[in-house]
Amino acid sequence: MKDYEVIIGLETHIQLNTETKIFCSCKADSWEAEPNTNICPVCSGLPGVLPVLNAEAVHKGAILAAAMHAQINTKSYFDRKNYFYPDLPKGYQISQFDQPIGRGGYLDLPLENGETRRVRIHNLHLEEDAGKTKTERGVRLLDFNRCGVPLVEMVTEPDLRSGDEAAQYLIRLRQLLRWIGVSEADMERGHLRCDANVSIRERGTTVLNTKTEIKNVNSIDSVRQAIGEEAKRQIELVESGGKVESYTLDWDADRGKLTKMRSKETEADYRYFREPDLLPVVLSTEEIDAVIARLPELPLARRARFEQEYQLSAYDAEILTSERSLSDYYEAAVAAYAGEAKTAANWMMNDLSRLLNDLGKTADQLVLKPENLAEIISMVDKGKINAATGKSLLKKVEETGKSPSEIVDDEGLGLIADSDALRKQIEGILAGASAEVASFRAGKESLLGWFVGQVMRSSGGKADPKRTREILLELLNKE
Amino acid sequence: MTTKRISPELFEKLVGLAALELTAEESTYLFEEMNHQLASVEALSQIPLPEDVEPSLHGLEPKGLPPRPDEWKPFAHPEAIIALAPETEDGMIVVPDVKGAK
Amino acid sequence: MSLTQLSAFEVAHKVRTGEVKAAEFAQAALEQIRAVDGVSGSLNPGELDPIEESKVHAFIQVTQDKAIEQAEKVDQKIANGDEPGLLAGVPLSVKDIFCVEGTRTTAASKIIANFVPPYTATAVQRLVDAGAIVLGKVNLDEFTFGSSNESSAFQPSTSNPWNTEYVPGGSSGGSAASVAAQEVALSLGTDTGGSIRQPAAFCGVVGLKPSYGRVSRLGLIAFASSLDCPGPLSRNVRDSALMLQVMAGNDPKDSTSSTLPVDDYLGALEQDVKGLRIGLSPDYEAVYYPDLESGELHSEPIQKGVREAVLRAAETLAKAGAEIVENVPMPNTRYGIPAYFVISRVEAASNLHRFDGVKYGYRTPEAVEDLNELYRRSRAEGFGLEPKLRILMGMYVSAAEHASSYYQKALKVRSMIRSDFEHAFDPQGAYRLDALLTSTTATTAFKRKAVYGNSVLMQYSDQMTVASNHAGVPALTMPGGLDENGLPIGIQLIGNDFREEMILRIGNAYEQLTADDAWRKVRPQVLQGEVRA
Ligand SMILES: [Zn+2]
Repeated sequence: MKDYEVIIGLETHIQLNTETKIFCSCKADSWEAEPNTNICPVCSGLPGVLPVLNAEAVHKGAILAAAMHAQINTKSYFDRKNYFYPDLPKGYQISQFDQPIGRGGYLDLPLENGETRRVRIHNLHLEEDAGKTKTERGVRLLDFNRCGVPLVEMVTEPDLRSGDEAAQYLIRLRQLLRWIGVSEADMERGHLRCDANVSIRERGTTVLNTKTEIKNVNSIDSVRQAIGEEAKRQIELVESGGKVESYTLDWDADRGKLTKMRSKETEADYRYFREPDLLPVVLSTEEIDAVIARLPELPLARRARFEQEYQLSAYDAEILTSERSLSDYYEAAVAAYAGEAKTAANWMMNDLSRLLNDLGKTADQLVLKPENLAEIISMVDKGKINAATGKSLLKKVEETGKSPSEIVDDEGLGLIADSDALRKQIEGILAGASAEVASFRAGKESLLGWFVGQVMRSSGGKADPKRTREILLELLNKE
Repeated sequence: MTTKRISPELFEKLVGLAALELTAEESTYLFEEMNHQLASVEALSQIPLPEDVEPSLHGLEPKGLPPRPDEWKPFAHPEAIIALAPETEDGMIVVPDVKGAK
Repeated sequence: MSLTQLSAFEVAHKVRTGEVKAAEFAQAALEQIRAVDGVSGSLNPGELDPIEESKVHAFIQVTQDKAIEQAEKVDQKIANGDEPGLLAGVPLSVKDIFCVEGTRTTAASKIIANFVPPYTATAVQRLVDAGAIVLGKVNLDEFTFGSSNESSAFQPSTSNPWNTEYVPGGSSGGSAASVAAQEVALSLGTDTGGSIRQPAAFCGVVGLKPSYGRVSRLGLIAFASSLDCPGPLSRNVRDSALMLQVMAGNDPKDSTSSTLPVDDYLGALEQDVKGLRIGLSPDYEAVYYPDLESGELHSEPIQKGVREAVLRAAETLAKAGAEIVENVPMPNTRYGIPAYFVISRVEAASNLHRFDGVKYGYRTPEAVEDLNELYRRSRAEGFGLEPKLRILMGMYVSAAEHASSYYQKALKVRSMIRSDFEHAFDPQGAYRLDALLTSTTATTAFKRKAVYGNSVLMQYSDQMTVASNHAGVPALTMPGGLDENGLPIGIQLIGNDFREEMILRIGNAYEQLTADDAWRKVRPQVLQGEVRA
């Protein structure tokens, strides 16, 4: 068998998380709504009404374009894409065609082997979503709630080389979308949808062979599996002397199967022309510069900086930059904390992450502020509390909203570091354990741990272990 | 001699794309009229256009409001929209399925 | 003088002062409609009584109850001492292409013959808010596609009140006829290539196509969205100014609606024409039309009487102190129709996509095999011939392989036509015009069936008007005399961007200067019976 490589391009549709639809004032999100309750004459295609552009959709589109390193156009246009389909009530989709809001750009994917795959973006355009149809007993039922939801369509160049890479792309894109706050990017809710173009070629060649398009690969696993299946099918077909034909395939995630939808020989002619009901979208260079200037540090850059600045492992840096709020939290905690950044990282990755998981919150939603975390770690460092108390404090601060030191004081959780009090207590214990004291002094030094245990038990865990050890050694070695 | 600017085959294709169907009489008339109109339209090809002339989206470029603020203003009677439909079921519009669709 | 003869201005004055009640004007209008309109247009007219041939048939639907209700509201306001609005009690008809909440809105097409929109067009709303009384919806060419009214799916289509054997023009034929026949004082029409001005000229009334974006298109069922302009029809210039005053101004629901402040149109009428520069162009003295086979352009001078009316008007204005600037070149005028054949059809085909039998309007009653058949059957049965022709044409010239040679080219020609006007109106240019004076049409009204069916010839009846639609500039038509058959002649004043106040001012001055002309005393045929009675 020849050595093949798989060539993949992805077409993604990203639902922007605006309050309202792109061309009318209906709510953008109708996940919970009954069919056809979140509609108006504009989005349901009644005659005589006109689209009015939502400024926030443009703004979020521009932010996304900036984050993708795309060129943001100062003037872009909406066009009509004309076709008949029951989920498209106007009979045309308002989209962008030859002058979209963003052109070019890329997303870098760190690969398993340490290399980075740069996936180029062809273009990025704003458009309205279509409605939903469902088929029941041979008829179609139409729900227009989703009509007019703002989308960004983003098409990659054929730069991906495996189902795994395509999955990685979606993971990174999802991370980025949430990071910059333009989309909830919930694939289950269709906020991030994906079609994949797949072809194969002999490794070492540069031709682009006939591709097939897989529709509806709407989860990370689907992308990985569907592309894997399709690549396998194409290779087997070519190896057995067949030829890949230009199909559109549908991925059935439940059965893990590809089915042919239609042959794509004749490209539909959508008869694009400029939407006369809308003005060109104009962004001044100042506005564009402001969007770029306000763009947050992006995940990969922050990951690299965390490795460098905080001496974190790649693994730790990856986890701490998985979400923007987590990484912001971490940075704020490090800033408030005098100790090692690595120590703060460990607390974040173990104890704080567990808290977030338990509560189902993101870091920015916590009552427990980064400063509180820093204070807790510092108290442990300084021996004011032990580690177990520190961990339990996270939840207590979150629940009460009180500061860690307040809780320690109120509940008497502090360690007994007062030498005199501790000395008295230890003297009492030693006095009641003459046999063990004798054994120790006879050379059975391993008993030290037993003595420490006794002190801890009698102090209810509040004795400072370090001080305890020092005083014990002093008193035991006295004779 | 009658110059046909579009062929009968292309005409038939357009009828399909337009989601129409025509009687023989309509077809004859519309085919003829379309070819006549295209004769008029051909005048466009004879116009000397300066190199720098741009296509205009509107003759008088509208100076309208900037894009609207992102504020929710629900339409008061969404049910009145669905009530216009020839056939509905459970608040949804009913149409036949597409033949050959999955 | 009967109530129906009064101008909108006079009606509003009498109602405001309490001299006559709005309800009386509404009743008078309803009586006049009963007297002259005959049966309303319908999808199944059946056999018509021969007497119907002498009727106007402007209306598709008379909304009597609503009209009375609106009139009573106005009277109530006046009784309460509230501001009744600029158009208090003025009878108005609305071209049946504007959506009115709760009123059937048909576009004169079977495909939405029973459509009752849940919203009202901005222009209609503003008129009603200003106290106008909507008497009903008037006929038009199906979806506004035509220049004679004959293509309406609602028959009988409107007749010309001056001679009912003639067409009223189109597409706002019902609007123009209802005003000419004194059924209403004002009508709301639309003008995409001449659809207000051509019928206004044919019916001997005033019509104004405002600048693109001056009046909101919201609620107007679109023909060619980049060209459509709602505008007034009335019996004198002052009434059009009054009506525009009420309708003009930004509408946040129409992105192309202008934010420019609205001028004081009525105030502008107080000024005379001294020192104004009014142009005449040789490019408006002939029509250019193609040989249907070879495509070669031929030209033919416009009707003699029409040309004379324009020259007479120029003389009149010159005598009043205007400066007449001759030989203003408008060389791209002759390409207006070919460019219009492309641009308007592309937009129309797209705008008609939504009429598919799914969401509202007509759905084929036949059993269908699948969705595509539902589309095809519903559209085939619902649309008349003219929409079908426009859809096919639009699909052809916007197809990917033709778009650059047709559609893109036409958009460039539009730019060229626009530049003609820019040169003519340029305050630093050679001509520095305040207005261009032309005829509104090349001929006076034609007989029923004389042109209908020849889609090219029909379209060419808009040759004098379409250029201002391409350029987006305002244009006013007003009566300028009668031809040898006693049919009205329309003359046109075209102004610079948003200079409606200028053409209204000149038009008003012309009207005053010719107030005593003999031809102004002649009344339309359908009103002569009334005189005898
Ligand atoms: Zn809506």
